[in-house]
Amino acid sequence: MDNQQLTGLIRQAQGGNSSSFAELVDLHYDTIYRFAWKWCGHRTDAEDIAQQSCIKLAKSLAQFRFQSAFTSWLYRLVVSCAQDWQRAQQRHLHDALPEDEPASGATQAEDSIHVAQLLAQLDGMGEGMKETALLVHAEGLSHAEAGEILGVSESTISWRIHTMRKTMTRREQIASNV
Amino acid sequence: MNTKSIQRQLQQMNPPVPDTAARLRAQRAALAEFRRVHAKSERQPVASKWSWKSPWLGGFATACVAVVGVSLTWLMPEEGRKLQLPAPAPRQVTPAPSKTQRALAVEADAPAPSPAVSPASASARPSARVPAENSAAETITHTERANSAGALPGREREVDELSEVKVTGASIQGPGGTSANPIQSITGEEMRRQGIVNTADALQQLVPQNISTNQPTTVATSALPGPAIGNTIANLRGMDPTFGSRTLTLVDGRRMVSTSNQVDIAPRPIGGDRFEHFETNPVKRVADEPESTFSIDVDTASYSFTRRLLNQSGLRQGGGLPPMDAVRVEEMINYFAYAWPAPTSRREPLRPTVTVSDSPWGMGKKLVHIGIKGYELPTRSKPDVNLVLLLDVSGSMSPADRLPLAKQSVALLLDSLKPTDTVAIVVYAGAAGQVLPPTPVRNREAIERALNSLQSGGSTAGAAGIQLAYNLAQQNFRKDGVNRILLATDGDFNVGISNRDELKGLVERERARGVYLSVLTFGQGNNRDEVAQVLAQNGNGVAAYIDTLQEARKVLVQEATSSLFTIASDVKIQVEFNPAAVAEYRLIGYETRALNREDFNNDKVDAGDVGSGHRVTAIYEITPVGSSAQLIDERRYAASAEPAVNPRGKANEYGFLKIRYKLPGESQSRLLTQPIRQDAGVPAALRQDVTFSTAVAGFAQLLRGGVYTGALTYDDVIQQAESSLGRDEYGYRAEFVQLARKARDVGAPTE
Repeated sequence: MDNQQLTGLIRQAQGGNSSSFAELVDLHYDTIYRFAWKWCGHRTDAEDIAQQSCIKLAKSLAQFRFQSAFTSWLYRLVVSCAQDWQRAQQRHLHDALPEDEPASGATQAEDSIHVAQLLAQLDGMGEGMKETALLVHAEGLSHAEAGEILGVSESTISWRIHTMRKTMTRREQIASNV
Repeated sequence: MNTKSIQRQLQQMNPPVPDTAARLRAQRAALAEFRRVHAKSERQPVASKWSWKSPWLGGFATACVAVVGVSLTWLMPEEGRKLQLPAPAPRQVTPAPSKTQRALAVEADAPAPSPAVSPASASARPSARVPAENSAAETITHTERANSAGALPGREREVDELSEVKVTGASIQGPGGTSANPIQSITGEEMRRQGIVNTADALQQLVPQNISTNQPTTVATSALPGPAIGNTIANLRGMDPTFGSRTLTLVDGRRMVSTSNQVDIAPRPIGGDRFEHFETNPVKRVADEPESTFSIDVDTASYSFTRRLLNQSGLRQGGGLPPMDAVRVEEMINYFAYAWPAPTSRREPLRPTVTVSDSPWGMGKKLVHIGIKGYELPTRSKPDVNLVLLLDVSGSMSPADRLPLAKQSVALLLDSLKPTDTVAIVVYAGAAGQVLPPTPVRNREAIERALNSLQSGGSTAGAAGIQLAYNLAQQNFRKDGVNRILLATDGDFNVGISNRDELKGLVERERARGVYLSVLTFGQGNNRDEVAQVLAQNGNGVAAYIDTLQEARKVLVQEATSSLFTIASDVKIQVEFNPAAVAEYRLIGYETRALNREDFNNDKVDAGDVGSGHRVTAIYEITPVGSSAQLIDERRYAASAEPAVNPRGKANEYGFLKIRYKLPGESQSRLLTQPIRQDAGVPAALRQDVTFSTAVAGFAQLLRGGVYTGALTYDDVIQQAESSLGRDEYGYRAEFVQLARKARDVGAPTE
């Protein structure tokens, strides 16, 4: 589907055409789900975030004004749903270990631990860092795109990436001295 | 290099494919909300909620960050690029408060050059647990390109190739502090560029300090389960050998018992290709070669493999399309169900349907679909099945011809079971326990999900795997039905009872109680075959070696249900084209199934089997005589053969379809024939199926480089497929559309 078709689809959905909206959701669900999974590293949580995002898309699609790429707008929406989820999680003091994953083989559990650990590191880096890291590194977006999505300047994104790298280097140095 | 780790890890995050049910839930919820919103107010107030900062600010800094391209491991099956970590934390372990315990591992998912787990490593498994709350592991992953599963047992494997060498370290955060997650890797491309020809060189590149200086290379005398003598070994991280007792070392996915922190860096060659290479079927002149002969193929693995690769490429740039040789057109086509009319009698178990339609990618050409439907045994005649799968998920099962093949085999098996039959899954060796309680086949999604979640890896010994399997089978016992345990392993019979006689006794007792055992061994050079034989004989089952999917089908379909589900075997197809009507033809796919003309009538020549209810579809592209689409010029000096090749009454035929098959148990083949009439057309009831299978054929050919597909694009494929989704009960066709979109986006040149 090219841009023009997408624009058409969005306009139809904004006009209240539910089958266009369904198609729009269908087209983007994978993107949404994948980002959500990267955010939380957990299948069912990612499904929850994705579902909230889809609902939010239904609510706020009318506000999309074609002033940016639709995907950027969508990312912003998903990021905000992910942030909401995280706040809710912190209230529940959710155990990050993937014990509630059913039917998982050993390696998968290990992977989940690995991902959980990676995400914990990102969470510990300060506000906006996880969002930045996921958009730039995991999603492969440019600093400009990430800035647009997060509503900060491109240079802020570059600064965050730089800071994260410095932090990692420092942690490693400490760790290698242990 | 370490500072890149976080970036690299993020890039390599690999979200699972979204669950279809969850997807539907989300869509439904969103749609409900959408309708609510639009019912409430037809016009939403329009206000731009967000203001965007200029993307041009600070553009300079962008140049500092280079997004690292996707490494070749992304082309690998999932099993090939798992970060290997120590077994998950056993909760009760008290971590050493300050010291970070380390483990060093070499993990290669290559097929081990030597047979099954050596006694030394197998018996040592129970102690292989690494305290994980505060531990670190270092892993070297040789992501190797294993040969395709078609390798024959005993035949020397062609050179295994490396696509990536990865040295990783990982730790689990504990109170005593953290350690970073360094990953150093070198891609196949890089290796080729630098002229690195084996693992040792690659490691030299990655961790030169430890190979060249810290620890001189030594010759191994340790109990390597692989090629033990004469290995070059290096201490990669310069770790203290006194920690040897806490070291988990994996070589080729097997635990290696070693007295020091040394890893095998035996040279492994690099380069070449992973898939059996085959050339796309060429266009043939009917005048030169009027017959086309091939064996039937009901495999569908290529589709799922392609799907996996495309899904993995995700949003990443450079994720790339699957390698051409991974795409087998006929397997892609046959993945989908088409409503070819079914035969009505078991005595005539195959019914061909021939349609003729215009080729969407070749002006003036036609497509001839040959759809064959196998007789479906009435469900009533099948006994109830209560099946418990006992799967070895140790690290050594990771090559494509082991656990992945076992999984595919089970998926095949599901096709032949009744909705009310049950399947349970128990694993041992890599992890132990029940993965799936007895679940009706009706709930196929749950079974496949459980199956897909299985990953080989780890080295912990399974506890009472076999006992658990028997318990499940007894709990769910079907009187007058088939109650069977299917043990799948690559030779590790460490199923929880180590005493062979005791094990044999258990199997015998259970047989007397009506639960049978079959043993399927996977992987190459299994020297524990006698154990398998003994167990299976005592369990009233078969011991089978599974090297290919066809083999799996034979064994599983026939043995697991102890009733003959194959309805026709050695099925061959021969089409003779009429030179008066057809100038050229091309068989789309089936390259690896080609037979010689004379093989068709030779019953000694083996061919594919068709199971109950199987569907097989083959498509020919033909150029009618006189069409301008003809590719090959007429011969100037060919003798005119008009009278001979145009016998009266057959001029309206494009050709003649012949099918040879044997009924199960018979050794003499039967012949089925049908003319391919020029005016066959496409019956209305089959129109969608013909269009959809054509879309799949087009897609597969595009993935294979689109040599004969003219101006066809992915968008055309998408459009065709969308116009022919039909009922699509399970969403397979819709998924195909998504996949085609993905291929289009991945394949599109980036600006």
